[in-house]
Amino acid sequence: MKTDFLGLKMKNPIIVSAGPWNRDGKSIRKGIAAGAGAVITETIVSDALLDVRPRIAYNGQGAQNIRLYSDIQVEGWQREMDIAKSKEGIVIASVSAHTPSELAYLAMKMEKFGADAIELGISSPMGESLEVVASDAERVYEMTKEVVRNVKIPVIAKLSQNATNISKVAKAVKSAGGSGVSAINTIRCILGVDIDTMEPTLSTYGGYSGAPIRPLGLASVASIAQAVDIPICGIGGIENYKNVLEYIMLGASAVEIGTAVMINGFERITAITNDLEQWAEEKGVKEVKAIRGAALKHLKSFEEIKIEPVVSHIDTPFCNAACEACVKACVYGAIQKQEHKMILDSEKCTGCGLCTFVCPDKKFMLDW
Amino acid sequence: MNIKEIAKKAGVSVATVSRVLNHPESVAPETKERILNVIEESEYTPNWFARGLNFNKTDTIGLLIPNILNPSYMEIAKGVEDVAHQKNYTTLLCNAENAVEKERKYVDSLQKRRVDGIVLVSSMLENEDVEGIKKQGIPVVLIGENKGDIKDVPIVRIDCEGAAYKAVRHLIDIGYKDIAIIYGTTPERENKRKIEGYIQALAEEGISEREEYIQEAANTIEGGYIAAKRLIDLKRRPRAIFTSSDLLAFGAIDAMKDHEIKVPEEVAFVGFDNIRMSNLIDPKLTTVEKPMHKMGVVGARLLFDIMDTKDEENNSREILLQSKLKIRKSCGHRERIGEIF
Repeated sequence: MKTDFLGLKMKNPIIVSAGPWNRDGKSIRKGIAAGAGAVITETIVSDALLDVRPRIAYNGQGAQNIRLYSDIQVEGWQREMDIAKSKEGIVIASVSAHTPSELAYLAMKMEKFGADAIELGISSPMGESLEVVASDAERVYEMTKEVVRNVKIPVIAKLSQNATNISKVAKAVKSAGGSGVSAINTIRCILGVDIDTMEPTLSTYGGYSGAPIRPLGLASVASIAQAVDIPICGIGGIENYKNVLEYIMLGASAVEIGTAVMINGFERITAITNDLEQWAEEKGVKEVKAIRGAALKHLKSFEEIKIEPVVSHIDTPFCNAACEACVKACVYGAIQKQEHKMILDSEKCTGCGLCTFVCPDKKFMLDW
Repeated sequence: MNIKEIAKKAGVSVATVSRVLNHPESVAPETKERILNVIEESEYTPNWFARGLNFNKTDTIGLLIPNILNPSYMEIAKGVEDVAHQKNYTTLLCNAENAVEKERKYVDSLQKRRVDGIVLVSSMLENEDVEGIKKQGIPVVLIGENKGDIKDVPIVRIDCEGAAYKAVRHLIDIGYKDIAIIYGTTPERENKRKIEGYIQALAEEGISEREEYIQEAANTIEGGYIAAKRLIDLKRRPRAIFTSSDLLAFGAIDAMKDHEIKVPEEVAFVGFDNIRMSNLIDPKLTTVEKPMHKMGVVGARLLFDIMDTKDEENNSREILLQSKLKIRKSCGHRERIGEIF
């Protein structure tokens, strides 16, 4: 499923996101070989520092990382980019800095080293400051503008959910001449606390990623798509081809995958691209733009939602599962279970819909 | 052993030996091997200075710093050296000791040694000095603001005024009103800007500046000690002191200890630079973090950009790096979250 993102002709919309899995030329080649449409370098900074240890934690659902920047200095990236670009494949450079001039200088360097586009890593929730740069539309505007003024390749700004109005920030990127936005970066988090040692999982605040942040990423992408006409790259908790399609249907032209690669390896990229191809073939979808934003029209305001008198129904009242999930979850007390028989009280049922989600056998449906 | 003796021993001309060293691809393989063997046996190394004269390239850069005893300049020097080393360049470090004549002498000497580029840190030179260096075809980059009015040279700097404003604003936000500043006589322009930031923060709160609260001192630990003593003796002793460098803060805090004045309970401190020791003294120093190493790294990069490309466009490049208030204990701040971010 081809896509045109930032004017880059990609064979599919899958981009391996910035992270240590793309820490050098060799690892970038792995992502390209696995079938990714493009790969983004680990975030490059002016002054690479020694990483803290440990810095990544995972609880089976989501991951916390504290500071994942490249430990290769800019000089070294010339060599790594030569390796990364030695065969076919699109390579985007992720750069991060604190002032417009510093950021623009890094971007120029990476352009010179052969990057096909620049992603501005200005939304990291780690150690930098209490307020992430990407929560301030004005600063994002200044930074994007200075970079755009200094490079010829496309520039995308990576935005954060740690902003009250992400569409406003996306608008600032557009008016600064940015070619696109990617959303969302990781979200400030503390993964947990060990109640025996009374210590947090990692020793400082970090960024949360993985499946649990997907609903937040989806909402951010949709709200940007509904407010600003700018190419969007969806990020956050993508684990399979269905998640890719969710982002595309809410307005994304491409997607980035990071944590799934970190946990499962580059094979996951191959699996997702293959599954996506197969789905596209079955549905006769050749390009991303054919389905991009298709779900947006079903997103309504409260007043547009027509209130139909639906209540919960079940086809056959018989249920011999050793389970009372529906009974427990019905906050209105409309469901009872006697022996193996389900009893629904349609007077009490208010049509909230929760039972249709909690029943493992999907017995319930809303109807009227 | 010199090149003539090598030539004699190998039975070739001096020119051939020279070609082996400088354009090995132009020499027949057998001849090359024979000469290289002789070179290895006789442990001959070319005279790099002479090489520089021939090739107009010595693979060395000059780095002038105002004071070798101030650790903040050593951090900058490390940044410059890190990049130069990666490029296989040697860095000649010169200690100008805040004296323009000494700085000029070093520049002269570096020019004679045909360095390929010069980095000036918080320089005291004038524009015409720098024009002179550039006329020799030697690119110049500034790190930190210079005292004179040097134009058309790339510069890496921080916003000293804005940084000082934030530092004093922080003291005001904690609740101090009687805030003094101890500033160093050097680097002159940068410290002038810090005073401007200090005055602006006070003015914004309607706090009128008191002349006796603005103290000049030599930019050393001793300078800080002496200036602090003057502040201690005031009838209305300040409750907080902002210093234009960490060294000044160290000296001033030492004076407080000698006079049994508690820091930060009786007098609070905010420094400037964030040199490594500021995290080790007691109480740990709240200070403006100047990205010193990064300034060195970026400055060296700008120099190599010009050296590699001879691109005039680079001469107007100004890179402003961000400083940051590093909140620790000496300011009397109590919100722990502020110390983390």
